Amino acid sequence: MFIKRLSFWYISSFFISMLVALPIITVFFGFFETTSDYFLLLKNTFLLKYISNSILLLAGVLFLTFLFGVGAAYYVSFYDFPGVNFFKWALILSFAVPAYIYAYSLTAFFENYGTAFSILTYLFGPYEYNSFIPKVDGLFGSILSISFSLFAYVYVLSRAAFYYQSQNLIDVGRNLGLSPKKTFLKIILPSARPAIVVGLSLVAMETLSEFGAVSFFSISTLTTAIYNAWIAFDDLASANQLSFILLIFILFLFFVENFSRKGAKYHSPSRPGSLNRKKIKLTGFKSFYATIFCSGLFFCSFLFPVMQMVYWTFKFPKYLQDLNFLSIGFNTLVLVLLSCVLMIVFAFIANYGNRVTKSKFLETLTTFSVSGYAIPGVILAVAFITLVSYLDSLVFFKFKTMFIGSILGLVIVYFVRFFALSSNGIKSGYLKINKSMDESAYLLGYSKFKTFTKVHIPYLKNSIFLISILIAIEIIKELPITLILRPFNFETFATTAYIYASQDLLEAAAAPSLFLILTASFFILFVSKYILSDRY
Amino acid sequence: MSENFLEIHGVTFAASQKNKVENVTFDLKKEGEVVCLLGPSGIGKTTILRTIAGLEKIESGRIILKNKTISSPDFHMEPEKRNIALSFQENCLFPHYNVIDNIKFGVDRNKNKKFNFSVYDLISLLHLEEIQQKYPHEISAGEAQRVSLARSLMSKPDLLLLDEPFSNIDQNLKEELQLKIKKILNEINISTIIVTHDSYEAFYMGNKCGIILDKSLKQFDTPYNIYHYPNSVEVVNFLNRGILIEAKVTGNDSLENTELGTIKGNFIKKQSVGSTVQLLIQPEDLEHDDQSNLKLEVVDRKFRGTNFIYTLRTMNNKLIPVFVHSHHEHQHKIKDKFGIKRPIYIDHLVCF
Repeated sequence: MFIKRLSFWYISSFFISMLVALPIITVFFGFFETTSDYFLLLKNTFLLKYISNSILLLAGVLFLTFLFGVGAAYYVSFYDFPGVNFFKWALILSFAVPAYIYAYSLTAFFENYGTAFSILTYLFGPYEYNSFIPKVDGLFGSILSISFSLFAYVYVLSRAAFYYQSQNLIDVGRNLGLSPKKTFLKIILPSARPAIVVGLSLVAMETLSEFGAVSFFSISTLTTAIYNAWIAFDDLASANQLSFILLIFILFLFFVENFSRKGAKYHSPSRPGSLNRKKIKLTGFKSFYATIFCSGLFFCSFLFPVMQMVYWTFKFPKYLQDLNFLSIGFNTLVLVLLSCVLMIVFAFIANYGNRVTKSKFLETLTTFSVSGYAIPGVILAVAFITLVSYLDSLVFFKFKTMFIGSILGLVIVYFVRFFALSSNGIKSGYLKINKSMDESAYLLGYSKFKTFTKVHIPYLKNSIFLISILIAIEIIKELPITLILRPFNFETFATTAYIYASQDLLEAAAAPSLFLILTASFFILFVSKYILSDRY
Repeated sequence: MSENFLEIHGVTFAASQKNKVENVTFDLKKEGEVVCLLGPSGIGKTTILRTIAGLEKIESGRIILKNKTISSPDFHMEPEKRNIALSFQENCLFPHYNVIDNIKFGVDRNKNKKFNFSVYDLISLLHLEEIQQKYPHEISAGEAQRVSLARSLMSKPDLLLLDEPFSNIDQNLKEELQLKIKKILNEINISTIIVTHDSYEAFYMGNKCGIILDKSLKQFDTPYNIYHYPNSVEVVNFLNRGILIEAKVTGNDSLENTELGTIKGNFIKKQSVGSTVQLLIQPEDLEHDDQSNLKLEVVDRKFRGTNFIYTLRTMNNKLIPVFVHSHHEHQHKIKDKFGIKRPIYIDHLVCF
């Protein structure tokens, strides 16, 4: 009986981690396959360019997100100025604007005869303005798009670290004679460092996996190269080899992040009953500056793309009528529901298994199985195709028709990519129910199953709700996996927008983009309290 | 099988390889008995409770409750089947239920069992009226402990296990609660094992006490016997009872110490005449007498309200504590000579 129960947890945890491990293994073995001509060609010509582009992009984005994220978090958590309570949550709305939609907005605004041109014409009469309007595109455009869409990671995490910093620490600093500025540099910033590093490393991973914006601006990075190798040259081997290089980058980042933290915790939330930190009220020039900074950030990161998309949606109503909302909405709903069910069920199996078996090995497996979030969607999709084709060649069963271009395959790859969301969500929920809580229930006569349904489920209800919404937000925004693996004629808002944009029909991309932003914003507002708490 | 309510037979309680209490045997003779397990912190008392509750398995020995084996190396009854309630030392109330729902959580377990108290009786007995609707994170550690106690009681278990039940409760309330809980336990006739590191609590609450020291159960007896007839030097030291001095046995009721002279009394264990033993001298054993020719130097004096404790130094540099009533007419300063009444008579002669 005991063995049987044990092995169930082992098998399921093992299964999940294998699911995540397979793409990585595939990429790994793909690297050692006989090199195709295309890859040799690449190696001799563009590979260095791809790598240097990826690095430049990364550096630019990290710099900007640090500036925006920590700056905003600092103002919002320590000072009181007009609009502070609004900015607190409004800044996370930028999560709703994926980098590729931001890129479309930038182009729509700054291009020749674009929105900026129209505004100038409206204000100052007709003139040849195009030469005065800066062209925001290429690498710079990509960096801007990605930074504005990702800075909220740094903002949220450093805000939580600042916010939950104990007043005692700051008081002690002041008491030892540090000026406010020195207190910030010597106490507040260093103690928030682990959180900021986590935020930046999330940004870094997202940047390296970024596909939509860079491909729109025709910047060749490792990620777009993988996609092109597969789609343009139909060369899976090369795609896998490029993936391998990118994975090494990511692995390196992973180690840097872990090493720099050295197990440091985010922050210790102050105990109930301890002093709430008082915010410093800003006046005069300083208050004006803080308001300008935050409202500028809010405008650039959220209002600007939304306004651009609204403008175009109504300027070109023809495309709005063309859009088949019902079918796209239904498709998205199906994907979200299936993924939520799958991910939450498995998150429960993995975490409950860890809890009852107390096995270190299982815990390691679970930790491993959430690493999919670090692997770019493009790599996952290509590796998945490679794997399925390989299986297809082994047996007579038609794996390809079952998994490629099917909702099933799509949901499986989503699972690998986003399992971290659900597993970590359930895990942090479980951390709050300590083990003796279960034991108390047993000792009051509740069986394991009853403890699960009467204690765990009610307690984790909120976590489940939150996880579902977070998964929904991710899937609505997700582009490369959906693009590569979706069934024929199966569109989401993201793919519709992307396909129009790649056909140079930006004005047609406006309506689906707008709907994407609005749905995502709606969900984000729902969970803003959670995102702003320390549990992110 | 015997008729005892609970039997622990040669069980080794192990939380880890290091933290073990070996080969423990004791029993609760009949239903309603209260046993206190006393020992320093970190010795493994909690593990004993967890094991009896079924949260840990055993590798040797046997635990029998109401003539049914519940734990043995090859059988382990799941905790939820045992009808044993354990009230943890730390707060483990369900965070998503308020106080009253937490207390009611275990009520269904033994619905039909007769019970003298309703949930509301317990709430008022334990002073929880004010916090009924609050959630666990809104109450103090001491309150949480009382709620946890109420929850365990309301599940009407066969055996109640309490782990340091008063550790987070302040002194005044603690004494009141000890009194009340003793009364409740008595009234509902529920067998209980209490773990504590406070000897006064153990002596007050328990019908029997077990002293756990050094990985084993050193002594298991009534509080009176443990106090007056400690069976080992370790128990004496743990209870901080007094000091041991060397003495020679001179007869069936007398000893001879080089400095204190003849000491008379009743040996609790027969000692052979002529042997040298360690005799326990407790603060209440010696009597003050200014007329006496036996005088020792005062090295310390502590005022403790009802009495003073003088610490006296012997020639061999032994420090002997002596109680003197605080309304005693004259007081001695440090370095004074302090007279002791002779011959010394000690009711129970505890020798090792």
